[in-house]
Amino acid sequence: MKKLIISGLAILMCYLSASAQQTNLQSAVTKLDKAKTVKDYASVEQEFVKIEGSQPKDWLPNYYAAYCNARIGFLLQDDGESIEAYSNRGEAQAKRAESLLDKVNQKKELAEVYTVMSMINQSKVFINMMTYGPKYGPLAQQYLNQAKQLNPNNPRTIYLAAWFKYNTPKLWGGDKDLAKQLATQSLKMLQNTDTSVNPHWGKAEDQELLSKYK
Amino acid sequence: MKIHIIKYIAVAFLFLLAPRFVFSQHRISGTVKNSNGEAIPFASISLKATAGGTKTDTAGTFNLPTNAKGKQLLVVTSVGYKSFKKEVTLADSSIYLDIVLLQSDAQSLHEVIISAGSFEASDKAKGASLTAIDAFTVAGSNADVALALRSLPGSQQIGEADGLYVRGGTGDETKQFIDGTLVKNPNYPAVPGLQQYARVNPILFNGILFSTGGYSALYGQAMSSALILESVDLPEKSSAYFSVFTANMGAGIQELAKNKKSSYGVTLRYSNQTWYNAIIPQRINYFSGPEYLEGDANFRIKTGKTGMLKFYTNWNTSNVGMRNPDIDSAALRSGYQVKGMNSYNNLSYREYLNDDWKLEAGLAYSYSRVNTIQTLTGNDGQTIKLPDYPFNEKNNHRIINNDFAQARIVFTRMFPHNQAIRFGAEHFYSHDHGISNDSTIALTDNLTASFAEGDIYLANDLAAKIGVRTEHSSLLNKWVIAPRASLAYRLNDGGQFNFAYGIFYQEPQNDFLYQTTDLHFSSATHYVLNYTKKAHNRFFRIEAYYKQYKDLIKTEPVISNNGKGYARGIELFFRDKKTFKNLDYWISYTYLNTKRDFLDYPDEIQPTFATPHTATIAIKKNFQDIDTYVNISYAFATGRPYYNIRYDNVINVSRIYDQGTTKNYSVLNLQVAHLMSLFKSWKQKPFSGFSVGVNNLLGTNQLFGYNYSANGDIKMPLTLPARRYYYAGFFMSFGINRTSDILDNNNN
Repeated sequence: MKKLIISGLAILMCYLSASAQQTNLQSAVTKLDKAKTVKDYASVEQEFVKIEGSQPKDWLPNYYAAYCNARIGFLLQDDGESIEAYSNRGEAQAKRAESLLDKVNQKKELAEVYTVMSMINQSKVFINMMTYGPKYGPLAQQYLNQAKQLNPNNPRTIYLAAWFKYNTPKLWGGDKDLAKQLATQSLKMLQNTDTSVNPHWGKAEDQELLSKYK
Repeated sequence: MKIHIIKYIAVAFLFLLAPRFVFSQHRISGTVKNSNGEAIPFASISLKATAGGTKTDTAGTFNLPTNAKGKQLLVVTSVGYKSFKKEVTLADSSIYLDIVLLQSDAQSLHEVIISAGSFEASDKAKGASLTAIDAFTVAGSNADVALALRSLPGSQQIGEADGLYVRGGTGDETKQFIDGTLVKNPNYPAVPGLQQYARVNPILFNGILFSTGGYSALYGQAMSSALILESVDLPEKSSAYFSVFTANMGAGIQELAKNKKSSYGVTLRYSNQTWYNAIIPQRINYFSGPEYLEGDANFRIKTGKTGMLKFYTNWNTSNVGMRNPDIDSAALRSGYQVKGMNSYNNLSYREYLNDDWKLEAGLAYSYSRVNTIQTLTGNDGQTIKLPDYPFNEKNNHRIINNDFAQARIVFTRMFPHNQAIRFGAEHFYSHDHGISNDSTIALTDNLTASFAEGDIYLANDLAAKIGVRTEHSSLLNKWVIAPRASLAYRLNDGGQFNFAYGIFYQEPQNDFLYQTTDLHFSSATHYVLNYTKKAHNRFFRIEAYYKQYKDLIKTEPVISNNGKGYARGIELFFRDKKTFKNLDYWISYTYLNTKRDFLDYPDEIQPTFATPHTATIAIKKNFQDIDTYVNISYAFATGRPYYNIRYDNVINVSRIYDQGTTKNYSVLNLQVAHLMSLFKSWKQKPFSGFSVGVNNLLGTNQLFGYNYSANGDIKMPLTLPARRYYYAGFFMSFGINRTSDILDNNNN
């Protein structure tokens, strides 16, 4: 009986602390959903980094921290001098997230990580097209393809594919019509997503891309 | 047990060796690590109120003995980390602390990189910093790195000669280096009044350091400027290309081994202006060429995990012959033909011996043969020999062979945060032999140099590079010591102040040494101060300098080192990639105030290759939707002085008989390149394109100076061989996108 109470208490403790962490993560993700500027993303990234410290086995804090750094890279695309520190940080975080996932049973989660990895490599291209482009451009494509293979129905992967199709010159395989089609598809898939801690970003990004067609 | 005994013995030794007062001290010891638990070596530990301090060792541990007591502030700092402060209470006992330093935030991780006096264009360029390709693809640069760099501040717009005239220096005072070794003859042999092209294909390089002053102790024998080129290690992919242009054609392959450990490449370029000149009238009457043939090959292999061995060889020949009315007699014609042959070979090796040590070694051998024939002919083409001055000096034949070899080794000991100590030595062997009319020429020189340099971070935002170089020439039988120093101070907003100082020695040119070796090194002392700011895809730079030239060569009344001079100026550079989408432009302005007394100059005067004001603009616009690039460059310079200096035999001095200033110079170059995708069905879809361009689009009449007849009565303007230079061609490459090559490979 005593044992049972103790173990019951232990389980309860674990549950409570886990849910406390979950609420931390949830509040950070809610903040992330509202982030718009480099400052917003940088401050919420710090929160994810802190959460990672208390939950080193969870892939999500690392994933989100990496995503924040990728977003910052995209937001700073006209400021090549300051991107690299964020890209490198995001890359390390994405790699840690990847290492926490089971390659066989967590394909969907891996696809999320590879999508962010693709964005991070693209953010390195923004540093300087001439010097970083030849190396990191193909890497960004490679990660995108990997993500597509693992989960062809990830709306975020589809959004990123749309972004690439839109921003690549026609001669090198860009296609604005296909970009529109992909972004519309991605947006449709994101209509009914919840706002839990699971990755659910992409709606605003799709809308922003589609707004360029009006 | 054993360890205890050793500890005991060590402590016993301390008792024996340490002076007594040590025991009144106590100590603060501990470790300094980062958040990943990795040791931080060379972190500084100090007590704020006391003078003493210490640094962590390679294991991150420290030991700070102190006499201080009571509350003290302990400060731990290391480059790249936030500083750590902790109040400690010191009593008689010792304290042990495990300190964790947090990394500085992303924004403040920018390193301070020393940059006074130099423009770096490399494959590590970020934002608006220049890349090698940016530099090469300036319109009108003719695939010549030296010409391309004329769009940067510091260089003069010289149209009648090749090379880089930097900050009051001659073209000969700028030297080019490939992977550490000197390129003895970067351009095809000089032809009076005509610019000759570069021998080396710039596309081989992914790093250029164009130093207009105050460069590193690792390089020498260039009084005014050094152009330091770094070749590509391994290509990203295998590729092949060919191009056919109005006056030249080329083809090449670059093959990367399957294991991506080695690669080889071969290119061949041929240029012949004969038929172009038949269509577009030239002021100059050529009887031969201009014709150039160049081949190069490279082999690169990774050795071990971190080693890189590279071999590069370049072979070329040239032939330019012209015959024009003689300046001293309308009835005669004067011919000038130069046939050149050159080979440049470079073997370089780079290896990390361990985590801390790097070795770089280079071997270079070059051979050149320049055959110059000057003839005086009648209108019938028959050679005429006349006994009287100046005609008796117009039939000449000179063949100069030069063997040049260099061996170089540099060791680098690396410390955390990009700190390093470099040292090494190099030896240059140069042997000229040939004939000049009936006399033979022979000249051998062995120049040995050794150098050491340290990159030191004095604080998070303050770095210094301090070096020294010694050189000894066997021919001059002289030793010289050249100190070099630079400092960089970074501001929080991305701005940086830089300062550089150095003494630069150079041996006299061989043309003087053929006549006498009783000469010594010429020298220049540089002081450079600059401010740069790079942020938001914009790059601003302002630089001021002062240079003092000493012991320049004078040819009158006798060859001596009695020349001298100075140069000072201010330069501006601004590049903006942000304001206009897909448009990249940069603007430069150069102010130069220089005078020198050298060669036959009677006094300190403004040299003919220097003008006070120069401005350049380079614009590159990418019309992405139609796959078209437009490249425009514009340069403006105020007039340059010209002189008719002759030796007055009566009073035995040089005198200026006539002088003036040329009118302002301006040139506009335009290039349009369009990319296409042909043969879409091919498995390896090639990238194709065509490029058309005009140099001196507006047909501006350009005057570089005058040639004077021997008696000074007649002066002939020095100008372009034709008002405009046109080119058009087609380019196809397989394997990789070589757009930049299309933009680069516009002519020559």
